[in-house]
Amino acid sequence: MSTGFVDHSALKVNQTGIVATVLVAFVGSALYRPLLVLIPLLAVVLLLGTFAPQLALFKQLYFKVLKPRGIVTPRPVPDKPEPHNFAQGLGGVFLAVASAFLPPLAVVGLAIALLVAVLAFVNLAFGYCLGCQIYYQLGKRGLIRATRSSETTGTP
Amino acid sequence: MNAQLWALAAAGIVVLAAACLEVVRSRRARAHTLGVVAGPASDPYILYFTGDGCTVCRTHQEPALAKLGPVRIDKVDAIAERTLADRFHVYTLPTTVVMSPEGRALHVNYGYATAPKLERQLAEARGAGIPATAPA
Repeated sequence: MSTGFVDHSALKVNQTGIVATVLVAFVGSALYRPLLVLIPLLAVVLLLGTFAPQLALFKQLYFKVLKPRGIVTPRPVPDKPEPHNFAQGLGGVFLAVASAFLPPLAVVGLAIALLVAVLAFVNLAFGYCLGCQIYYQLGKRGLIRATRSSETTGTP
Repeated sequence: MNAQLWALAAAGIVVLAAACLEVVRSRRARAHTLGVVAGPASDPYILYFTGDGCTVCRTHQEPALAKLGPVRIDKVDAIAERTLADRFHVYTLPTTVVMSPEGRALHVNYGYATAPKLERQLAEARGAGIPATAPA
């Protein structure tokens, strides 16, 4: 099983960004409803970051600001980036679905967004990545081609 | 504020339901796996199911396995060795199976298993490995 390296600090910053954004949208929208726009914006950020890492807002914040200034210490771990990208994309898809529900049925949209935040928090705090487990299940069933990379990843 | 409270309740119910399903799933998988037979060995050993994309395997499970001391650990790529993984109902990674010297699955851990937990299971497996009828 050959793997590259993934900077887990970048992942943690990404997860923190997701949790914080959803929480601000969730709590803030109770007082100022237009804050709900943060949810579709977060969906766009996650989906863009999945396909173009240079557009991943929170990871860029880490690589361009937090890491160079020594605010967050890098933590490269032998790992593969694909499951994490898959999990991020899945989060983006769920937030896009949540965004679609927000105008007609805000409760459903908010509940879905909250679940994405809960899963991001579980990953942040306990290292359990549901998206990665789904990736494994899909790989096991041959629905996702298990790639074997050896490149160094986690950098922009 | 009402929408937020209802959403919080709905998300809470989903999380609780998912946790209950996970408990049921792991119990069923464990019940099916206990007693499954693999190759015999001179001592208890561990089947360690992992995969390329398993982060917890590298960050948590492998350091825990390294703390165990001299014990045979058979590392299995759950995707490449799908038949073996299916035999042990591996639905999540990492999965560790403590095997008796006779090659029977004694303990199955779906998800990260700590070093003390594995030590305890290995000690039990060593006890189970002692022949029931001691020579006179």
